[in-house]
Amino acid sequence: MSEVRLIARREFVERVRDRTFLISTAITITVLVGVVGGGALLAREPSFDLGVVGEGPLAARVREEAASGGVRLDVRRYASTAGAEAAVRSGEVDAVVEDGTMVVRSEPPAELLDLVRRATEQLHAEDVLARAGLDPARIEEALRPPPLRVRALEPRDPRERERAAVAFVGILALYGQLFAYGYWVAAGVVEEKASRVVEVLLATVRPSQLLRGKMLGIGLLGLFQLALIAGAGFAAAWLTGALRFPSGALAVIGLVLGWFLLGYAFYAGLFAVAGSIVPRQEDLQATMTPLSILIIGAFFVGIQANQDPGGTLALVASLFPPTAPLVMPSRLVLGEAALWQGLLSVGLTLGATAALVPVATAVYARAVLQPGRVRLRAALRRG
Amino acid sequence: MASRVPGRTPNAVFGRVGSRLVLELLGLTRRFGEVLALDDVSFSVPEGEIVGFVGPNGAGKTTAMRIALGVLEPDAGEVRWRGARVDAATRRRFGYLPEERGLYPKMRVRDQLVYLARLHGLDAEDARRHSERTIQLLGLGDRAGSRVETLSLGNQQRVQLAAALVHHPEVLVLDEPFSGLDPVGVDVLSGVLREQAAAGVPVVFSSHQLELVERLCESVVLIHRGRVVAAGRISELREADPRRLVRVEVAGGDPRWSEDLTGVRVVERRPEAVLLELLPGTSTERVLDAARAAGEIRAFEVVRPSLPEIFRRAVGA
Repeated sequence: MSEVRLIARREFVERVRDRTFLISTAITITVLVGVVGGGALLAREPSFDLGVVGEGPLAARVREEAASGGVRLDVRRYASTAGAEAAVRSGEVDAVVEDGTMVVRSEPPAELLDLVRRATEQLHAEDVLARAGLDPARIEEALRPPPLRVRALEPRDPRERERAAVAFVGILALYGQLFAYGYWVAAGVVEEKASRVVEVLLATVRPSQLLRGKMLGIGLLGLFQLALIAGAGFAAAWLTGALRFPSGALAVIGLVLGWFLLGYAFYAGLFAVAGSIVPRQEDLQATMTPLSILIIGAFFVGIQANQDPGGTLALVASLFPPTAPLVMPSRLVLGEAALWQGLLSVGLTLGATAALVPVATAVYARAVLQPGRVRLRAALRRG
Repeated sequence: MASRVPGRTPNAVFGRVGSRLVLELLGLTRRFGEVLALDDVSFSVPEGEIVGFVGPNGAGKTTAMRIALGVLEPDAGEVRWRGARVDAATRRRFGYLPEERGLYPKMRVRDQLVYLARLHGLDAEDARRHSERTIQLLGLGDRAGSRVETLSLGNQQRVQLAAALVHHPEVLVLDEPFSGLDPVGVDVLSGVLREQAAAGVPVVFSSHQLELVERLCESVVLIHRGRVVAAGRISELREADPRRLVRVEVAGGDPRWSEDLTGVRVVERRPEAVLLELLPGTSTERVLDAARAAGEIRAFEVVRPSLPEIFRRAVGA
């Protein structure tokens, strides 16, 4: 096995076995599944239990209204007011209607109130009209107007709406993942520098091999975790019926995974430099700040682009390598970016990465063996 | 038997008659800014011998060792292994103990050794086997599954040594391996180095503890301010030292009897004995007479200069 693969494997195995990794993955998946599943439950059609005292046409009419309004309704009949009220009190039914009065425990559910009100109003109108001598056909005609039609001049594709929602989650995940795994590269470099194990390693392998192996191992772990989370989220959404167009969601997941690799490759070298010039973990925050600002900025532009994918800012940011990974995915998903734009963006990001990694490796190689804090300018100059 | 590399003086190269010089440092020069850390340093290590690399702090020992391991690039000069310039593939067969010890604090001892063995080119099976053997050799058996950071400093030092040995290196380069060891640890490490040398592995180690070097090494390289000031077999360096030294132990009389003695220089005065250098023209008999006059002679011996004295003389101190 080559040195780079050995190093990558250590990075992957040591971290995947780490308790913090397992816990953070479990928490992320739990939260995501909870949000998706909870959202699906909330989005379900509402259902009510209604009690009616005595005989009468109301029960049938409320049922009709519920059916046409997409509300699940169960109607029970009660012989006495006392029995019905007891049922309300015990929570067996949400409300009881008797003689034009709706009895509830504290407040009536708005939708149920609406249903019952419409039904009673209709019955009342029918009664009045019938007493006025109108025949049933005319009454029907008066009370059941043809439904109102809606015609949109610029209709939104429901697929697109769903994709934008999935893309939002995707950008959020990408942002977190780029940040977390960039930090792991920096922290891994500091760990080796601070513990001085780097000297033992560099007596065996070249700095470029050590860095490549580290970036590869941590990057694959990031991809693995992202795929795990995406898979769990997709499964939860699919099983709870929250996704109406699963193929669109799969496309978003594919794009997010691909752009994670591109973005990670771009940023990992820079994070390694940030780690190599400081002596201790505690000093890492300072050197990582410029990178943090860059990624946070890209994230906000990405969120904005998800709402306005056709704007100039979105266009420029989707081609600019530091921001492209968080902006281009939603522009592609929402159909705003032409294929050539996507390919150009990938090409630019890969090109920038190819130009950056050798410089980062050279700075890393110079700085990581020097004890203490290394000035970036000095590490750059001696190349 | 001293031999020379053409055009390289006065940095000596040495070895037993018939033994092969396997590790050669040739004309190493390295600057750090204004500081000349190494100035044309050359020496070599014969097969199966333990060579002590001796010099004060900042003399250039660590720089030379780091260059030998490829951790640092020299400005001039080269390192050769069995006659060929050392490359990355060769260095994988070296064993190195850096001055600043370093291990992954959170990695378990066994995992760490297996990993390093594999980086040194061993396959999975060999790496596991060698790690297990090295763990046993250094008495780390009950800590093999522990994270390094949970170990005592002494045990961490042992793991560090195990890391240098685990891949059965063809040469050992150890920077201050004895520092921080208790007397038991010193004995264990001495034994390990002797075993390695007996198996044909050349060993170079740096140390401040000259008595230890004297006990363990046949040959030494003395370095001072980036230059090799003396090198060779300790016995030959002693022979080559023209000074005549006598150690005299006198009981009963005036302990300051030697102070008035002319024609000698006091090298070292201890409560029980004095070490004198006889200046030219001074005879042993004259010193013996003076000692006899001062009290009862317990010991009187002509001695060869010890390593610290050779070193002091070489640096002109």
